[in-house]
Amino acid sequence: MLDFVYDGSFNGLLTAIYEIYYRRQVPQQLLSSPGQTPKLFVREERIITDETKAGKVYEAIDTKISSRSLRHIYYAYLSEHMEAGIWIYHYLHLGWKLGNKLDLLLSDERVHRIHRLSQKVSMERHRLLGLLRFQLLRGNIYYAALEPDHNVVELLAPHFAARMAGQNWVIHDVSRDLAAVFNRKEWVATDFTLQHRLELLKEEEYYQQLWQEYYNSMAISSRINPRLQKRCMPQRYWKHLVELS
Amino acid sequence: MEILKKLKILADSAKYDVSCSSSGSKRTNQPGGLGNSASSGICHTWTADGRCISLLKILQSNNCVYNCSYCVNRVSNDLPRATLTPDELCELTINFYRRNYIEGLFLSTAIYSSPDHTMEMLLQTVKKLREEHNFHGYIHLKAIPGADNLLIEAAGKYVDRMSVNIELPSERGLRLLAPQKKREAIIKPMTFLTSNIAARKAERRKSRKAPSFVPAGQTTQLIVGATPDPDLQILKLSENMYKRFGLKRVYYSAYVPVSHHPHLPDISSPPLLREHRIYQADWLLRFYGFQADELLNEKNPNFTEDYDPKTDWALRNLDYFPVEINRADYEKLLRVPGIGVKSARKILTARRMHSLDFDDLKRIGITMKRAQYFITCKGKYSGQTAMEEHLLRPRLTLSPPKTAGPEQPSLFSFSSDVIAPEDAFSSVTGEI
Ligand code: SF4
Repeated sequence: MLDFVYDGSFNGLLTAIYEIYYRRQVPQQLLSSPGQTPKLFVREERIITDETKAGKVYEAIDTKISSRSLRHIYYAYLSEHMEAGIWIYHYLHLGWKLGNKLDLLLSDERVHRIHRLSQKVSMERHRLLGLLRFQLLRGNIYYAALEPDHNVVELLAPHFAARMAGQNWVIHDVSRDLAAVFNRKEWVATDFTLQHRLELLKEEEYYQQLWQEYYNSMAISSRINPRLQKRCMPQRYWKHLVELS
Repeated sequence: MEILKKLKILADSAKYDVSCSSSGSKRTNQPGGLGNSASSGICHTWTADGRCISLLKILQSNNCVYNCSYCVNRVSNDLPRATLTPDELCELTINFYRRNYIEGLFLSTAIYSSPDHTMEMLLQTVKKLREEHNFHGYIHLKAIPGADNLLIEAAGKYVDRMSVNIELPSERGLRLLAPQKKREAIIKPMTFLTSNIAARKAERRKSRKAPSFVPAGQTTQLIVGATPDPDLQILKLSENMYKRFGLKRVYYSAYVPVSHHPHLPDISSPPLLREHRIYQADWLLRFYGFQADELLNEKNPNFTEDYDPKTDWALRNLDYFPVEINRADYEKLLRVPGIGVKSARKILTARRMHSLDFDDLKRIGITMKRAQYFITCKGKYSGQTAMEEHLLRPRLTLSPPKTAGPEQPSLFSFSSDVIAPEDAFSSVTGEI
């Protein structure tokens, strides 16, 4: 049996899909990094990312299937689900036959599971548009830390680039050591780790305190319902919320 | 007084207004400016009672000259009082917004002097925000009954949404509990807003450059359970508001006992289940094509605890069913208990490819728990019982919540099926 291993990038994944057709060889898995433990009966084959090959697959999806499917694929990829790679391949394989009707076939597992992953990612993106918290740092930079389930930083950046257009900001995915950095003109995605502990300005502490005070005053005591609260806002997001830490 | 203290007092006084939505407006940022608004609305956090915070909901002042007996801010209530200046409010809004705590501002106020004077202060605040602070986030502003139309019109140019709260569903309730308020004084600004919004919308259709006026429309709030008015009365009123006044939303707020008064009900906790049922019914009016008369009537003027309004309707109208999944149109699908807007759309999409059987429905994610009794797939019926009311009733009762008391919203067990995301996330209602 055979697994393909690509470098974790989206282009890497598309290259791997290109190779499947080119070599006429369907692997068991498409992995974004080598397996942790060596497997007895599985051979791992490394795929070297190739922009031209990736570009061809990208184009083909866009023109032969639809831009909507392309978006589903990208979102499913960002989910970082273990099997996302091979699921995307099977979804596409069906897509070459169905063309732009692919996303209508909701009752097919190959379509359904991609939609499910894509939906999870866009759900988390939407949540974090609200749950992200910036802190004002020395040097006039607004800094936000997050630890999302999926790799959504790039999906968040355009929203904040439009909204907080006059601020320098950093949106930092602490668990993936990634960030989107914005300089009031454009944003870039980059590897990122914090060099120092954050030093909060007095002004920042003041507004955090105001917000906490406000937040606590808003709950109506005769309606308290922590279960409902947790269902709307899962506890794993609380760590980076000023009002709850 | 320091800001921290004022903020606490004025947030405390504002929290009983339940609307917090930031949807319906698409405002783009301007060069050098701050903020925009997403048309679907965004929730920023949830309080310990599970309500979403989207906007900085606050009163400019909680000093009131009125004495509405259901309200914490009434003049006879002994309560700390505070007033924020327009500048203080701007600072708060801008700094909260920059940190992404909020989508914008929901500014309301007690009537602290004449209605005109009160409205003028609100106007000053929103004007400052837009013009001096170049702020383009969402603003929801209260229109003060009794204030000059010119002031309301001026404010309407700056804000996304305006509302006048009706609060009490009947004139009689108003007379008993808020004798200083007159029905006409409440209706007047609403009518004014309705006609202006419509007129400006028409202008905007002709020219994009025409100034916007309350683009996210008008809303109102009704208190549930402060007066003996039945659900039917409330729902009829809402229906009227949607049809005649073109309101975007009617919000319902379970009466929170804040004072004792001979005319107020003597309850220990807010009627949350009732509020919830009315929200469900409101949803049916707005998105499912139901009329208030179909859901309730003089003989049954109140919703039951055991069934959601749609299931209740279905049980009384079994001759409408079963609905054939492969042929029924959208409106008909929406009448099936358990099939919501999102599910109905999915069915329409999926059956373009091939006709659907029960397994297909499951695979596309339709929950069959309630729907199975009301549908056929390719002519087959799969409910394990004959379609008769006395057989179906026991199977469709909502099982009582296990851990909570009868009015604890573990009942709010809805799928996260979405109409507007923020509504789903705030989970005041859902697919039914
Ligand atoms: S006018 Fe408004 S703030 Fe004043 S008592 Fe009545 S409801 Fe409360």
